[in-house]
Amino acid sequence: MAPADGQIDLRDCRHCGEPRREGAPPGYCCQGCAAAAAWIDGSGLGAYYRLREGPAPRVEAQADLSAWDRADLQAAWVEAVGAGRRATLAVDGMHCAACAWLIDKALRREAGVLEVRANVLTARVRIDYDPAAVPLSVLVRRIAALGYRPSLPGSPAREAQRRRDRRSMLLRLGIAGLGTMQAMMFSEALYLDTTGSMPIATRDAFRWITALLSAPVVFYAGAPFLHGFWREMQLRSPGMDTLIGSSVLMAWGGSVIETVRDGPQVWFDAAVMFVFFMLIARHFERRARHASASRIDALAGAQPALAWREREGRLEQVPTSELAVGDRLHLHAGQTLPADGLLLDDAADLDEALLTGESRPRRRQPGDLLLAGSVLRSGEVRLQVAAVGAATVLSTMVRRVEAAQQARPPLLDWAEALSRQAVLATLVLAVLVGGWWLVVDPPQAFPIVLAVLVVTCPCALALAVPTALARANGLLAERGALVLSGEALHRLSSIDTVVFDKTGTLTRGQPTLISTITYAGLDAESARRHAVALEAGSHHPLARAFGHGPCPPVEARRSVAGQGIEGRIEGRLWRLGQAGFAVPGQADDDGVWLACEGRAVARFEIDDPIREDAAAVVAALARHHEVHLLSGDAAPRVAAMAALLGLPAAQVQSRCTPEGKCAAIAALQARGRKVLMVGDGINDAAALAAADVSVAMANGAPLALRQADVVLSGERLAGVSELLGIAVAAQRTIRQNLGWSIGYNALALPVAAIGAMSPGWAALGMAASSLLVSANAWRLRSPP
Amino acid sequence: MNSLLFLIPISMLLFGVAIVFFIWAVRSGQFDDLDSPPIDLLTDDDDAP
Repeated sequence: MAPADGQIDLRDCRHCGEPRREGAPPGYCCQGCAAAAAWIDGSGLGAYYRLREGPAPRVEAQADLSAWDRADLQAAWVEAVGAGRRATLAVDGMHCAACAWLIDKALRREAGVLEVRANVLTARVRIDYDPAAVPLSVLVRRIAALGYRPSLPGSPAREAQRRRDRRSMLLRLGIAGLGTMQAMMFSEALYLDTTGSMPIATRDAFRWITALLSAPVVFYAGAPFLHGFWREMQLRSPGMDTLIGSSVLMAWGGSVIETVRDGPQVWFDAAVMFVFFMLIARHFERRARHASASRIDALAGAQPALAWREREGRLEQVPTSELAVGDRLHLHAGQTLPADGLLLDDAADLDEALLTGESRPRRRQPGDLLLAGSVLRSGEVRLQVAAVGAATVLSTMVRRVEAAQQARPPLLDWAEALSRQAVLATLVLAVLVGGWWLVVDPPQAFPIVLAVLVVTCPCALALAVPTALARANGLLAERGALVLSGEALHRLSSIDTVVFDKTGTLTRGQPTLISTITYAGLDAESARRHAVALEAGSHHPLARAFGHGPCPPVEARRSVAGQGIEGRIEGRLWRLGQAGFAVPGQADDDGVWLACEGRAVARFEIDDPIREDAAAVVAALARHHEVHLLSGDAAPRVAAMAALLGLPAAQVQSRCTPEGKCAAIAALQARGRKVLMVGDGINDAAALAAADVSVAMANGAPLALRQADVVLSGERLAGVSELLGIAVAAQRTIRQNLGWSIGYNALALPVAAIGAMSPGWAALGMAASSLLVSANAWRLRSPP
Repeated sequence: MNSLLFLIPISMLLFGVAIVFFIWAVRSGQFDDLDSPPIDLLTDDDDAP
């Protein structure tokens, strides 16, 4: 990427693609990258450079990683498996399959590594190793030496809890399935004895065997329902669990009583089928809720598990739980504060959105109390710890994140409320029907009440929404779209307008410096250094185009959203940004201008390549939706992009400030349009929040990822049109499912109430109805 | 009918074996990761030239 004018040497690093630095080995930006590349080549893993889809993360200076070997840390995060131990690390910087391949290969080369599994999707690397042969820190250092940033995933207690929940759910499901099959086999034999020719002894034996086989299903697999029943009874608010629990207990207990007193009928089959199918429903619902949680943890790096502590002039990495009040911590841009602390250095910008909801960074002065959970936006700071652990605001934040993950889609709540009403109606009805039959034909009363309870159980109703949501979320996850907000799918189905941000969304977000023109005698390289200095720590995508390197110190740095950045270098006011901002009076073009005290110093030409599929995706969307393009770039470049995409000029706006983007979206909404905003969240976080549904590209700002309704990972923009298609299809499926389940219950109820349906048939019908609803959900496909 | 006296206990035994095997499979984490094994097949891990 040598510049046309040849004035500056920007030979990019072969490993990370960043520009060379002073004193670096030829072909690399720094010693770290050179060492990483030498190791990769020397290990015969050079294929990585061929396989990868983008540059590697830059190799940071090596730090003290001995904290990874601490017993206290390992006790919480490392588990024993067989002969060795298993550590699960969250690894930032893995972008494509080649990264996973490289990490996998690199670790396997270390002695003592038994098994490695690197998963790009979840950003987790699982290592099974022999602690006697290799300490964990050596393996972590290997990952770090390749430029990836290993950390500990979330809270180990939460991850372990999730795993335990999943396992116990699976156990219950499996035991319910196996037990139901066995119990049904014997029930079937009893049913087929229509002429009553089976000897009484055999019949009773079959009944007792069925009772035995169905007991674990009812009392172990069905325990969640029985617990729920008990809890709802204590709270005196009957819900689904009341209906399920009481029907199951009645069916099983009634059958045992009938078996003892030699009655004509037993209903063990109804009890077991009921438990089994309801467990399947719960399983689906839970999957829908937890599907994206772990990936989001990794994307957002919500909670730092390790911190850099300064002790006797040395930096060491320690678990957050080790920190004590009075410790000195080092933090750099993009990191989340692990503890509350007092700022020791110069003023710093902190993003406290997670704590306060305010998306603009806040400037904190030396001596201010910085809150754990806020994110450092620029530079490097030191702080003195003032509060740790549960005393910090961070713990509140964790609770908030957990609450958000627990939050259920409103549609689910609605379906649940409907089922609850249905439950109450059913209970009342069952009592009425039972009373009637007690008067008319007492022996028939119990089976009829049971049949009414089972047949009207809104199981299919309870399944209708979760199965469809789980299927839709699964389809989306396969295509790299993570749905974070429960309402998103529902609202997506009514979207009629799509608004795209340009930089980082329609383009790749990897701006490159094409050429530099200098005016005031400054050479191109020092112009670039001034730009680097001004942009230091900035999250604006253009900042990356200038690369890194030694640069003069900047005071009073201030960024003017959508226009540029200014700061004082050696006492003089420098500005970097669009023409009108940097050099008052200069006509706006698409270059980036550097000016000192209002006089032009240099003009940088920066280009950001368009994503390959942008034109096709926009064309496909334009068939059914109104597509708009909002950009902070200058008019000529935006117009060129619009022409490339085939968008009419009326739907394109250039030089949009963040407020401008919000206003444009508000104007569309005022016209009654439902707006989907697609952005990378760096300069459009507010617009994302203003839109009806927001989609953030996963390579964007971590904060936008937390706020967005949907996160699209990978480089494919096609996810946007697939997202809309799947949302519409999901909505249709949900409507069909609700219609069927309500209709079925309404139809079957009178049949059961007049005694024309035995509890067994009622359970079978309920099961069939539930299966139909699930099958309908699995039919859900992405429209072509 | 006498065959039932053998067949039923055998079926119960098999049921017990299936349950124990299933519990072992869940406890040992066989079902923990259902997503990456299919991908693992596609990435060639052999170092052979």
